[in-house]
Amino acid sequence: MQTVTPTLKGDVFLVDDDMAVRRGVAALLSAADYNVFRFKSAEEFLEDLNNLDVNNAVLLVDVCMPGIQGLELQEKLSHNGVTLPVIVMTAHGDIPMAVRAMKNGAIDFLEKPFTVEEVTSALDRALSLPQQPALPDSSATRETQENFSKLTAREKDILLGIVDGDTNKEIARKFEISPRTVEAHRQKVMLKMNADSFAELIRMAVALNLDGPR
Amino acid sequence: MTTEHSTATGISARLNEGLADEVIQTVNTPIVVLSSAGDILRFNAASEELTGYSTDEVLGQKIWHFLILDEEIASVRSVFERTIDKGAPTHFTNHWKTKTGERRLLEWSNKTIHNRDGAITGILATGLDITDSKAREKQLSQTRSYLQSIIDASPVAIITTNIRGEILSVSREAEHCFLCTENQVINSNINEMIPGFTDFLYNNGGKNGSKKSSTNETINRTQPVVAKRLNGESFPATIHISEFINGERILVGFIEDKTQHQALERRLEDTQLQLQHAGRISAMGEIASTIAHELNQPLTAAASLAGAVSLILKKGECGACKDATALLDDAVGEIRRGSEIIRQMRDFLRMRKTAKSLHDLNQVIEEACVIALIGAQSEGVNVDMNLADDIGMAPLDRIQMQQVIVNLVRNAIDAMHGVNEKTLTISTQKTEDSIEICVEDTGHGVSEDINKRLFEPFVTSKEEGMGIGLSLSKSIIDAHQGEITAKNKESGGCVFTVKLPVGVYANGNSNP
Repeated sequence: MQTVTPTLKGDVFLVDDDMAVRRGVAALLSAADYNVFRFKSAEEFLEDLNNLDVNNAVLLVDVCMPGIQGLELQEKLSHNGVTLPVIVMTAHGDIPMAVRAMKNGAIDFLEKPFTVEEVTSALDRALSLPQQPALPDSSATRETQENFSKLTAREKDILLGIVDGDTNKEIARKFEISPRTVEAHRQKVMLKMNADSFAELIRMAVALNLDGPR
Repeated sequence: MTTEHSTATGISARLNEGLADEVIQTVNTPIVVLSSAGDILRFNAASEELTGYSTDEVLGQKIWHFLILDEEIASVRSVFERTIDKGAPTHFTNHWKTKTGERRLLEWSNKTIHNRDGAITGILATGLDITDSKAREKQLSQTRSYLQSIIDASPVAIITTNIRGEILSVSREAEHCFLCTENQVINSNINEMIPGFTDFLYNNGGKNGSKKSSTNETINRTQPVVAKRLNGESFPATIHISEFINGERILVGFIEDKTQHQALERRLEDTQLQLQHAGRISAMGEIASTIAHELNQPLTAAASLAGAVSLILKKGECGACKDATALLDDAVGEIRRGSEIIRQMRDFLRMRKTAKSLHDLNQVIEEACVIALIGAQSEGVNVDMNLADDIGMAPLDRIQMQQVIVNLVRNAIDAMHGVNEKTLTISTQKTEDSIEICVEDTGHGVSEDINKRLFEPFVTSKEEGMGIGLSLSKSIIDAHQGEITAKNKESGGCVFTVKLPVGVYANGNSNP
């Protein structure tokens, strides 16, 4: 995954209200050969938007900020038809927020703190996608649908719980099984769904509309 | 008449006759003598006075031609004929019609009169004017049934007993309350239904104790008891006993079933406990999640910086670089472990998941206010509740929403400390796409620098405040997909507005 060529892989618009985070993440992404633009708020980014070239670029935005929040920014962009892939950064374990972001059309989410591999693979994937307005990817692939249909009833329950943001402990309590069993089921679900990462599993669940009202 | 009236017996008889005449004439009750054909032969002074007719007017007239009511003629004649036929005394009650058309009710004793041969020649009828007493009786019975209907309409169960506790009467509510009919319990002892009922008389200080009081007097103040229904079920009640003398001493018990009242009190107590508990838990959760967020940011920065160094070193390709990158990767691993610990702490303490179900919003607010307004009156706060009728049901987490209301109301009361005019207004209204809850005060308002960060945790203007209330309220309202805002009013004071979307109804289980 390391690129030997020094050519830049793409532009990253980094929006985070925390100065240290901006500095650290920008350093990381620069070292990983991305061209990073930093913004300390969604408002600042929107002001500059007209001067930015959104081709071959990704918006990497924190969901939790004072003023306009990440989700709102996403909505404003898709409302204005800006074709910019969005990756949101959430607090570790804030799955409900991640699910909402994905429903709003985010390409991916990253749980803070993230590793080099996590952030680069997410960015590369976003950059490789055809440019399109940030709309929710609501159609699951045939493969995803087939994989889902092969899950057992209990595995489906657990997937629903995960999408709801329940912890293993909460799921365990709900179904009166041990958290260890939940974890085992969880691994099985990842395997059967052919999901490489937790984020991908959530992405699939959103595509399958598992987060909708029920 | 024969010619023997000059004999002694004849004289005596005539004397008697004269005496009888005298008595008939002076007696204060109507007396008439009728021939066997019904003609009036005698009509005494009392009769004249009663009817307004003079003896001259009535002598020789048939009594039913003018004195008897048309509708009573048949029955009067039938009694008259029966009396003549049988020769035995009869009693009958009928009306007389006076000369002026007035009706008088008379109770008659009829007795036949005979000639010397023993043949029946007529009837002596002695009447008693009972018009007035009948009217009194009627009035009395009316009063009685009026009283009875008041007693039966009373929402308080009423039972009367004698001094030994034997039940004399039971009101309808008492039947209802004790699940019995009056017939089932009459004469049985009230102490079986209300243990110690009669003892209350004697256990109540010296004044009314065993000493009889001659006036109607309340024996004691209302006191709580555990009463028993006929089916054996016990229930909480209050009783109030009065005593009066009506020939004998009568006890009147007023019993109020407190079952519902207690259930209501208990529910309110429960709500209060739940709120306090939820308040503590949520405050901890809010603190934990704030700490987690605040701490996670530098950890993210550190992990990213370490990742950056690691990437740069990899490009350098020096011998020691490999070892250094491995160490940096370990450092990132440790940072992530730290972040994981924080996450676990936050998950452990985080606010209970919002569990929405349909609730009557106004009722939720009213319940919260009962708790939030404790002590408001003694602080001199006027409370103005202005809840719109058309709010209806909304999907809410009741306890969480009540936490918000209690927070806002308490804040409003605190904000008015030291202000002369203290008015708290709590209102709801429905707009096209939202339900609004407003909590307004006439306090000092919110200062500029606080206002910007009002809903952030650990921001407070109160000396002993933690600055959790409003940030918590915001978290809760966020979880309801709503909005909370604060605005200073021009007239002074502040208004907090909570806006809840109405569109989320179908999506009752949506979680934040």
